[in-house]
Amino acid sequence: MNFSRAFAPYLEFAKKAFAREATYRIEVFSEIGSLVLRVYLVRSLWTALYLQNAAPINLPLHAMITYATVALLMSLILEVDGTRLIRDKIRDGSIATDLMKPISVPFYLFSDGFGRTALHAFTIIPSLLLALLLVRIDVPPVPVLLWFSLSFAIGYCVNFLLNFLMNAVAFWTIESFAAQLIVRWTSDLLSGSIIPLTFFPSFLGRLVFALPFAAIYSTPLLIYVGVASPADYTRMVGVQLAWLALFGVISYATWRAAERRIVVQGG
Amino acid sequence: MLAAYLQYWRINLLTFLEYRANFVMWALFTVVYHGTALLALVVTMQNFPSMNGWNVREVFFLYSLWMLGQEFHNAVFFNVVNVPDFVREGRFDRFLVRPFDTLFQVLTVPQQLFPDGLILATITFAFATMVTHVTVDALFFVLVPLVAIGGALIDFGISLLVAAASFWFIRVDTIRWVVMSLEQEFTRYPISIYQRGVRIILAFVLPFAFTNYFPATFLLHKSETALNLAPWVGVLTPAIGLLWFGVAYVVWRIGLQHYQGTGS
Repeated sequence: MNFSRAFAPYLEFAKKAFAREATYRIEVFSEIGSLVLRVYLVRSLWTALYLQNAAPINLPLHAMITYATVALLMSLILEVDGTRLIRDKIRDGSIATDLMKPISVPFYLFSDGFGRTALHAFTIIPSLLLALLLVRIDVPPVPVLLWFSLSFAIGYCVNFLLNFLMNAVAFWTIESFAAQLIVRWTSDLLSGSIIPLTFFPSFLGRLVFALPFAAIYSTPLLIYVGVASPADYTRMVGVQLAWLALFGVISYATWRAAERRIVVQGG
Repeated sequence: MLAAYLQYWRINLLTFLEYRANFVMWALFTVVYHGTALLALVVTMQNFPSMNGWNVREVFFLYSLWMLGQEFHNAVFFNVVNVPDFVREGRFDRFLVRPFDTLFQVLTVPQQLFPDGLILATITFAFATMVTHVTVDALFFVLVPLVAIGGALIDFGISLLVAAASFWFIRVDTIRWVVMSLEQEFTRYPISIYQRGVRIILAFVLPFAFTNYFPATFLLHKSETALNLAPWVGVLTPAIGLLWFGVAYVVWRIGLQHYQGTGS
């Protein structure tokens, strides 16, 4: 009872964000359209490359196309910057009044981001149907799908906190957008969303797997396409959880420091 | 008009000096933006050495030629992408009442612009030329700047069409970014990897293949296998750029006639 009453406002925030995002119809349609074109692009690219070169041992063409297509569909969710609101609110100063309201601002931000993400998650369905006109996607057995979902969920949270930290930089310097884009582009490459991290040669390969970005796309995708063997699942998801815990602690500390800073400045 | 343009660059560089820390971040972003794309390309082609008969150095050259035109566009014509914002915020109307050409005024709104991307593109292109067997002769020094300008005009034409669309539809920001990123992704590879219909679109409808694929084929002395055209097609880039820009400019003028302001 108490719990649901405490929870109600955040559900409303999420619903509002969902409705707000749904009003930008052109955006939603162009997002789906560009995704379909990208699916065509990856199909053309990998088909051409596999036709003229020896295939990597553990990744035949159909698995590579599955990898690239599922990565694109995941990006519909992961490319949504769930905490962009912080940057906007710092810029126009409304963060000060939010801190006075009887709500938890971090949870408010999370609900807003979640609501916006939920709308984009819906675009996966039409995107997938259209993509299937262009490519065939492997579907792994149910246990693998469950591990994939778990790993994707953890990856989503890691990505959310990474975005949060980048947006929180705005508490200290107003012009943080460039820094954020730098991290976004680096993350796109090093997370395995463009090419599988297994393609990186020896030393670079070890390096990219040791970075937190791998937890976002690479781990769930390697589970999905069967490059990772079931014996490794626990270890891989464990590494993801470790990154999530670390990012959680850093985010919490950052938020506390930021809150104090606003109070000291007097808003 | 030239005096006004020089004055614009003076203000640009002066404001740029005011915000040096900010500039460093944006310059770094330009490096990361192209660096990640190139690293992905190099890593991919370590595993797959041939892309329809193009090796990694040649694909690198292809990218760097696109980069040259794109960054030339970003240095000189980039302001045009702000038109949708000007229109939405009602700031566009002031350009209509001043005694200069509207497009010229749009291009000379002072930003903190510094041609760092163009400098980076030139360095990258010089490096790509060194690692490939491109003949560096008098023709090269005449042709490459013209191709860069032609490529920039093709990009400018696209930006101008998107900007003109904002006279009819208010929200075009997403379309702008979608077009820009798709252009970058589709021009990264030799167009022979696509199906015939897509090759024709990229060559003659949205002539992105002229920003890099055709001139690179010519400069690298490769035979053109996507549409079986003669190699000299690659030198047509400046002409195609002018033509494409001309078409876009006509649409822009029609849009200006139509423009009524948002009332904000």
